[in-house]
Amino acid sequence: MKTAACAALLAVVAAHALTAQHVSIGPQIAFGDYKEVSSELHYRGTGIAAKATLQWKKFSGDIVLSKLKYKPSSDGTATKEFDASEVDVRLRYYVTGPVSAELGFIRRKADPELEAQSVGAVTIGARMEYLLGPGVRMALSGGLLFGSKFSGGGSTGALGALQLGLGLTVDALRGRVQATGDYGFQRFSRETDDGSGALPAPIQQSVGRIGLAVAF
Amino acid sequence: MTRRSTWLLAAVPLLASLPLSAQTVQNPTLRRAQQAFENLDYRQALTVGQAALRERLTGFERARAYELLGFTYSGMDSILKAVDAFKQVVLIEPERELDPNRTSPKALSAFQVALTQILVVRQLRVDSVEFVGGQGAVGIRYTVTQPSRVVTRITGGSLGRVRIDSIVANGQVNIRWPARLPSGDPVPAGNYNVVVEATVGQNSFSGSQPIRIAHGRVDTLPHLTSLPGYTYLPETEVPPKSWKPMGLALVYTGVALAGTSALSNGELGSTSLREGGAIGAGIVVAGFIMTLRKPAPQPARGNILYNQLLREQIARRNSEIAQENTRRRQQVALSVVPVPRTGGGR
Repeated sequence: MKTAACAALLAVVAAHALTAQHVSIGPQIAFGDYKEVSSELHYRGTGIAAKATLQWKKFSGDIVLSKLKYKPSSDGTATKEFDASEVDVRLRYYVTGPVSAELGFIRRKADPELEAQSVGAVTIGARMEYLLGPGVRMALSGGLLFGSKFSGGGSTGALGALQLGLGLTVDALRGRVQATGDYGFQRFSRETDDGSGALPAPIQQSVGRIGLAVAF
Repeated sequence: MTRRSTWLLAAVPLLASLPLSAQTVQNPTLRRAQQAFENLDYRQALTVGQAALRERLTGFERARAYELLGFTYSGMDSILKAVDAFKQVVLIEPERELDPNRTSPKALSAFQVALTQILVVRQLRVDSVEFVGGQGAVGIRYTVTQPSRVVTRITGGSLGRVRIDSIVANGQVNIRWPARLPSGDPVPAGNYNVVVEATVGQNSFSGSQPIRIAHGRVDTLPHLTSLPGYTYLPETEVPPKSWKPMGLALVYTGVALAGTSALSNGELGSTSLREGGAIGAGIVVAGFIMTLRKPAPQPARGNILYNQLLREQIARRNSEIAQENTRRRQQVALSVVPVPRTGGGR
């Protein structure tokens, strides 16, 4: 009984809080390019993603869940495919003009574990957003990835890991539906050391996502 | 005799036109006297005219009889007697005027002398006016023929007798009466008499003019919806078509692709621009379409501020009008109209 009452109260509070928010959520088709250690380990893949955005006063945020199946590229020597499941969370605070400050984290898990590196990092950066026309917005973001952790070990320097993003949102049906397009680039200048000195083992990924979202 | 005939001939049409109003001379004796005057038989005119004065005459006929004597004496160069006759005319009809274009100078002179030798209040006029109580006045004019103490009063209605003015005057006098009681309240609506009483020594003369005072509501001011000469401006304006969306789309896409290329690790070989290119192409297409489309209306900050100032100005003016209307609803519009007189003064 007490639990039900608490749940009802939370629902009312949440509904009241949502009245001042803009929320959109929708599926995306993802396609990507992945390289690791050398140009020989080159993969290309496709998959699905889901993106949710939330806007409240000067705050906004994105949560992207994606899963791509990477297959060895014909120009490389890789032989096995793997799945990359990624969680990308970004929180933004509007600063001035088109500029917002951005803070978040990414976590990508490779399956099977040994085919590619699973990675986690904190992202700090900035984002510029511009209204191209009524209901059409584009955004450019960039930032550094700090505290990178890799499943196979290794580390990156202070400026060794960074990301770049490009986004497009087109409102349709009076803003109830949005067409979305996102591009994300990550580079980790990873180095490993097995006792014989630091060896470069960079990781680089480009992902494009195209989809729809419902806004409310 | 010829000269005398000349001015008398000029006076004949004047006498003929004496019954200017609806009144006419009915007394046969007076008519005979007028006939004798018209026939230039002055002695007969004098004899018959004086005989008529001994008969029962109306005020109008009596005035005509004295006037006939005045003209006759003037024609006979008996100026003093002419003056005496004209005095009687003025006492009976204080408003009597002689037309200078149709009257001989001798008769005019005798008439003017007669006016200066008796005390009368003539040509009492009250202006027809409308004004808000306390913000206007009624013009009252009269002429007093001798230096005298002149007291102007208003009588009638529920007022009794209220003194308006008291001065020593001679000649034409103009006074302005605010139509207020000593308490400051407007004079109640009703019919009144403006009485002008002149006194010098034992002599006195008073004239009166009936007036009607009516009360009405003071017109209130309508509220404003706009200020004359000032109109609201559109609060949005369509900016001129520009290539900025296309340019910025190219810049953003270029930065993203160039950044990708520049930030790529050299040990990983050539950079894949497939993903960035696809999204960038979408952005460039969107920018191009937005460039071709009619730009969305943008808020015109200057116009918004202007309209805000205009609205505040109108609101302030309407507030003043509301206060003014509240004040006006407590006021009275006075209408003062002179009523035609039925008789002269005494």
